[in-house]
Amino acid sequence: MSEPTSALLQVDGLRKSFGGLVAVNDISLAVSAGEVLGLIGPNGSGKTTLLNLIAGSIRPDAGTISMAGEDVTRLPNHLRVRKRINRTFQLVRAPPNMPAIGTVMAGVLYGAGERVSFKDAGYEAAGWLGEMNVLTKADRRFDQLTYIEQKRVELARALATRPRVLLLDEWLSGLTPSELEGGMSVVWSLAARGIAVILVEHVMTAVRALCHRVIVMNAGSKIAEGRPDAVLRDPEVTRAYLGDDDA
Amino acid sequence: MAESSDDKRNRRRRATAAIATLSVLVAALAVVPSFVSDYSLSLMINVMCYLVLTIAWALFSGTTRLVSLATSAFFGVGMYTVAMLVKLVPLYAAFAAAIGVGAALALVVGVATLRISGMFFVIFSFGLSEMMRELMVWWEINQTHTMGRYVYVPFDTTMIYEHLLGLAAVVFLVGWLLRRSRLGLALLVIGEDETVARQVGINVPFAKVTIFIVSSTFMTLAGALMAPRFGFINPNFAFNPLVSFTVVIMALLGGLQKLWGPVLGVIPLIILSEHLQTEFPFWYSVLLGLVFMVIVYFLPRGVTGLLEDSWTALGRPLELPRGLTGPLLDAWTWLSRPIFLPRGIAGAIEDRWLKIMPRVTEKR
Repeated sequence: MSEPTSALLQVDGLRKSFGGLVAVNDISLAVSAGEVLGLIGPNGSGKTTLLNLIAGSIRPDAGTISMAGEDVTRLPNHLRVRKRINRTFQLVRAPPNMPAIGTVMAGVLYGAGERVSFKDAGYEAAGWLGEMNVLTKADRRFDQLTYIEQKRVELARALATRPRVLLLDEWLSGLTPSELEGGMSVVWSLAARGIAVILVEHVMTAVRALCHRVIVMNAGSKIAEGRPDAVLRDPEVTRAYLGDDDA
Repeated sequence: MAESSDDKRNRRRRATAAIATLSVLVAALAVVPSFVSDYSLSLMINVMCYLVLTIAWALFSGTTRLVSLATSAFFGVGMYTVAMLVKLVPLYAAFAAAIGVGAALALVVGVATLRISGMFFVIFSFGLSEMMRELMVWWEINQTHTMGRYVYVPFDTTMIYEHLLGLAAVVFLVGWLLRRSRLGLALLVIGEDETVARQVGINVPFAKVTIFIVSSTFMTLAGALMAPRFGFINPNFAFNPLVSFTVVIMALLGGLQKLWGPVLGVIPLIILSEHLQTEFPFWYSVLLGLVFMVIVYFLPRGVTGLLEDSWTALGRPLELPRGLTGPLLDAWTWLSRPIFLPRGIAGAIEDRWLKIMPRVTEKR
């Protein structure tokens, strides 16, 4: 398959196994700036493992990951952040006892943005919280925030590091309909900013509305790729979700 | 940023005030030796020594929340390095050598313990101290055929005191700067969630090892400065594990939320332990152990927490209508409440740390 040469993030033949289980089997993909790529598939199909591989929290057994033409396969997690790849976590994560702004400040100070003074980092972090509509919660402890507020703070933390590729692991799941609408417009605005978004998601309304392209995974392998409406009609995809052999 | 210059002026004024206060305090303490008895001076040396150790301990353990019992390892290394070199090189060269040895040991230990956390780190750090002690015992018996060394140098108690005072001021200043720095913030994030720390771009191993080296080097230098105080040094004395435990208890008693917390922990415990040692020489260890337990049980937030509570209590309106029965009822409730399992050191640090973060961010 020929990938567009303008791809920002390019993944080739990525493979990862845990013992006998092949969690990610020979996956290739590419995303370009401003594109929203959906990554869907039944539970346990390896979506989160793939995100972990791209973010750098685990190392692949085989394959390469390149960012803006630069090979980052061997780089540890924190250096990939500085190469402008960031993510959010499926189970929202941030220092629980820290004020919301603290973790965002750390993102400003240690991310890929230019170096700023400690005080200016505070202003900049406040800016990111404002952009995510949670500025009024800036000095509230993270574990005292509501679920959607936590998700927004976590996204502000990721954005503070100035990512060009953003991996959202079920960032839209578990929201009320109105929260979902707000969340979707946030994802839109990320893409409009020129960020390449990889969206792991089970909420099909969001996938249909947001994704330019969708990749379907099953048991670690890619089984379909294309425009969302076309892919979701694919009989093999239907079988993977509802079918006879698969749990 | 319109009020930036105003901000800057304000900050500079506050920083100047803090530094001026610290200098006046240090200057006042520096002239004390000429007014007090030898006994008081020796007590003050102990206070200064433990102040350095406790603040240095808090630099690492207060932020990363890895409870270290390696204090005596580094303290002992400092002391022993000086004891071994003092006949060969000038005293200040021996101090410098101690700094080098301490920092190098901290680097090795720091890198080796990167993957260890929680209870395992506590045990490892304790094991390290004991290993250092046994290693020195083995070395002295098998290689040098001595069991101890004499340290006779022209470095009297006043000199020791002045140097320790200077060191305490420096370690205090380092702690003060750390709370307003990039590295300090990184350490707080690491203490809470390492995965998130990596995900904001923090080089976790580097940050941890850096602060471990800084903290350990201060401990080593404190040990080096203390060496001339004791004419005779042997491994069991230099690597006394009680030092490690005492430092943790002092930090607990004082509280880590304020930088000056350790002062409130060190002074009462030094005085108390001095009293216990002179009044009950045979029961000293038992009583000290009891004191430790009482502190952990009843003062999980430290003296600073207690002060804060009483401050809040003072501001409360008096509850007159309850009369004399009120206190009795309170006493009864207090006596009949269930005994909580103490949340231990980690719990105390956890509580404390809540207070640290707002201080780091309150810049405006």
